[in-house]
Amino acid sequence: MEAPPVTVMPVTGGTINMMEYLLQGSVLDQSLDSLLHRLRGLCDNIEPESFADHELVYLLKGRQGNPFILRARRSLAHPTAPWHLRYLGQPEVGDKSRHALVRNCVDVAASHSLPDFLNEMGFRMDHEFVAKGHIFRKGALKVVVSKLSRALVPGNTDNTEPLSLSYLVELSVLAPAGQDTVSEDMRSFAEQLKPLVHLEKIDPKRLM
Amino acid sequence: MGVTCVCQVPVVEGKSVQQTVEQLHKRLEQLGAVKQGSFFVDCETYHATTNTGAQPSKLLYVMHNSETPLSCLVLFDGGPTLAADANFDVLMVKLKSHFQNAKGHKVESRGARYRYADFLIKVGTVTMSSSARGISVEVEYSACVVPGDCWNLMKEFMQSFLGPSVPDLPSVFSSKAEGLFAPADCMDTMNQYLELFSKIRKQQVLPGSGVR
Repeated sequence: MEAPPVTVMPVTGGTINMMEYLLQGSVLDQSLDSLLHRLRGLCDNIEPESFADHELVYLLKGRQGNPFILRARRSLAHPTAPWHLRYLGQPEVGDKSRHALVRNCVDVAASHSLPDFLNEMGFRMDHEFVAKGHIFRKGALKVVVSKLSRALVPGNTDNTEPLSLSYLVELSVLAPAGQDTVSEDMRSFAEQLKPLVHLEKIDPKRLM
Repeated sequence: MGVTCVCQVPVVEGKSVQQTVEQLHKRLEQLGAVKQGSFFVDCETYHATTNTGAQPSKLLYVMHNSETPLSCLVLFDGGPTLAADANFDVLMVKLKSHFQNAKGHKVESRGARYRYADFLIKVGTVTMSSSARGISVEVEYSACVVPGDCWNLMKEFMQSFLGPSVPDLPSVFSSKAEGLFAPADCMDTMNQYLELFSKIRKQQVLPGSGVR
């Protein structure tokens, strides 16, 4: 195999800056079925995917400033699949008229040595949870409806307890920085889900 | 992916790096090896800026190999390794307040890739800050994954074009005895390159080696 031409070489040095556009909401357990029904009608006509993931949130504390947060996720349904490592930046303050929360996002697929490796880098696991639910797609839009549970015994994903009586609903798009038209598409999609679920721009800092 | 051995080939006395590389190419072609494009392996070094412990923190190496062009191979000295996709490079940019890139430490090996039956041979010029510092030869025997079973064959093949300067069984294998070579990633190969790069880094600059 020849060394690939420059155009298909992996991007190095962070030249492509991907942003996550996000709207969040929740539904009570008893309303789940009607929401799923509506989503099946609105979204791309493919079999909705179910998932069961275990997410570990790691912190790296520096001498000053906020800790650096990384999220490591593995699929419980497909234990041989690669781990998913995710960095999420601070939400952009920017334009108030923008309809969605916008934050920097780096997704990395990684081998199964990830937890050991993060420990060696100095990261420490802060908390973990299990997310089970369904994914829907409509073009670039992604809708994730999931139930979050906490692990009663650290590291044991069989013994969990639901965090609430609701399902978390997230509508997100990954796009290069500056493509603010996607937030318009998200808003009109979110409108179509009313009144089953109200998807809003939620600032995570407000909840801390 | 089969069993791989990476070694350093000394520069022939009175010749430059380039001339020695050409001599190796000629010998391989005389054997009947066919040139199949080019290859590269590179390595960036990072050190932790937030060192809390008393002892110096381990260095973090982020490597790439043209054989797995969409992967980043990340290693700690003697510690855990990670195979990740190319976005890991982007993540290191985000982590720059915690892990600093030792800019002058970038090492790479580039050169030609030859195929001879089940053997894959890569002759590379090792460069550090654009000066040629040495020669690397990687030989892969792709028909076997058990180092103990094919080492003698590989050794004999390497002698046919490297002469007497054939290395011993790489330590990544001797520590595993008869164990299976991990076929899915190229970590054993990267570990060997890393060892070779640190050896070359410590060497004095070769006189008259200049830019390629």
